[in-house]
Amino acid sequence: MRILIVDDESLARAYLAEQLSGMENMEVVGQAANGFEAVKLAEELSPDLMLLDVQMPKLSGFEVLELLAERAPAVVFITAHDEFALRAFEVHAVDYLMKPVEPARLLAALDRAMERLKAHVPTPSPRALAESARPPGRPLERVLIREGGRVHVLPVDKIDFVEAQDDYLSFASGGKRQRKQQTMAEIESQLDRSRFVRIHRSFLLNVERLARIEPYAKDSWLAVLADGTTRLPVSRTGYSRLKELIG
Amino acid sequence: MADTRHPITARRERLLLYLTVWLGFGTLLAAVIAFRGETAFGWAAVYAVPLAVLLGLQSLSCWYLVQVLPAEGTPLARLLGTWVGAGFVLLAIWVAAALGWAWLLRVSLPQALDDDVVNGLTPLLLFSGAAGLLVAVLGHYMLVAFERSTQAERRALELRVLARESELRSLREQLDPHFLFNSLNSVAALIGTDAQAARRMCFLMAGFFRKSLALGGKHSIALSEELSLAETFLAIEEVRFGERLRTRFDIAEDVLTLAVPPLVLQPLVENAVHHGVAHLIEGGEVMVRARQREGLLELLVENPCDPERPPSRGAGVGLQNVRSRINALFGNRASVDVKAEERNFRVSILLPASQARAG
Repeated sequence: MRILIVDDESLARAYLAEQLSGMENMEVVGQAANGFEAVKLAEELSPDLMLLDVQMPKLSGFEVLELLAERAPAVVFITAHDEFALRAFEVHAVDYLMKPVEPARLLAALDRAMERLKAHVPTPSPRALAESARPPGRPLERVLIREGGRVHVLPVDKIDFVEAQDDYLSFASGGKRQRKQQTMAEIESQLDRSRFVRIHRSFLLNVERLARIEPYAKDSWLAVLADGTTRLPVSRTGYSRLKELIG
Repeated sequence: MADTRHPITARRERLLLYLTVWLGFGTLLAAVIAFRGETAFGWAAVYAVPLAVLLGLQSLSCWYLVQVLPAEGTPLARLLGTWVGAGFVLLAIWVAAALGWAWLLRVSLPQALDDDVVNGLTPLLLFSGAAGLLVAVLGHYMLVAFERSTQAERRALELRVLARESELRSLREQLDPHFLFNSLNSVAALIGTDAQAARRMCFLMAGFFRKSLALGGKHSIALSEELSLAETFLAIEEVRFGERLRTRFDIAEDVLTLAVPPLVLQPLVENAVHHGVAHLIEGGEVMVRARQREGLLELLVENPCDPERPPSRGAGVGLQNVRSRINALFGNRASVDVKAEERNFRVSILLPASQARAG
């Protein structure tokens, strides 16, 4: 089995590599010291399995998985102590190891991973996983967007509005647009409800950007944003949601 | 109700003082009786003093009514009505006793009280008894209020002490489980490659936990002790983070013996590593500085941070804890100043400089 080790601590990587070197049929094809490297190496090397640390600078293990999406290999998560992550692993039946990693447990996890690979058990949805690892009542803080080989981290308070376009979402921020494959219902459920309002079937608005509402036709309105030029359609339900939030 | 015992009878010196006041009342009454008629003051006192003591003992029962009729929160009509009723009963008993006592004295010792006095006695008794009872009731209310305020003061003090102790306890318990598990992982890793380093790491960890346990029970320690804890902590984290974590101590010679509250630096240094440097791919330097100027001890912890870092869980707890402890201990003689820039985080603490007690 070809394995990619992902951990920001060099000692922890060395330890896993040492353990794996003594095992049969296990080959360490690469080591990544952060999430960006992990995404890059996973795509270049297409390993069978990632040993993936949850807490890392810049990108967490969950975010690495989300960015790789369907290109993600099988994953065994590694964490020192994170009750929310552990609960998510249990809920989604994801394999995980706790630091300090015991060799016997590592071996067992690798065996299970091998069986799953043979049986073609799909990896769980990274977003659903990340979703249940987020502490309750804590909305999404940033959106990850891939553009070719680059990863953009978009803090949610920089988002002006989100527009649904076919299978994509278009995130508008400071006059620029970035596209991501995700559904409107999903992003709506992740973002802070007291701040992002579904004003229309295709539009989710950051209410902090709202300047005023103008009537447009019967049962429809226009939301004029703070930049003075952007006008977004507001449906009847959208209008009542806005009214409810702003009062 | 905190204490159901009578506040006056519960303490002997209070009871004596109370009866002395009533003896004064008796003397006054005797003087009035002597002044009005032909009775000698001595005989008037023989008559009046026991009556005063009786009224004093009767008045003790006021306390029970004071308990059920607190001055605040009882409707005025009910308050007045009950007291007038109770006063009337108490007064009636007392006047009856006084008249009986006068009759007894007249019969047994005819020379003691003269007729004029006995004839005009009832209005005098009514008036003086009512006045005595009124003073007694007001006195009881004042006593209860006094008891309450001292009790409240004591409770507030106890609460403050308790709060401080629990803060310290929670600080000790806050020793990050991440820290423990990650350190153990480092030990496990080192054993395979560098047994000496693994051993050193074990000693560092033992030292860190021993020191932090020892500090928890103290109110004030020398800065050198606090710095030693922070140094041990950073040495452990340097093993874990390798080249990514660099540390710098800039400590003036003359501050090492100054007194600081225990665990005043440690939470800040932990934050600097776990919420600062740990989020940086290239790592960074944690700087700890201590110096003295103008009678103040200045402590400073500074670290670089990632502008895109997610708002981390629990980052504010340690800092908030340090802030509230310093505030409780020193009030406006100390300050905690936080400067959070996009790529840099700095906490500086100013404390009054005083020498730590040796030992």
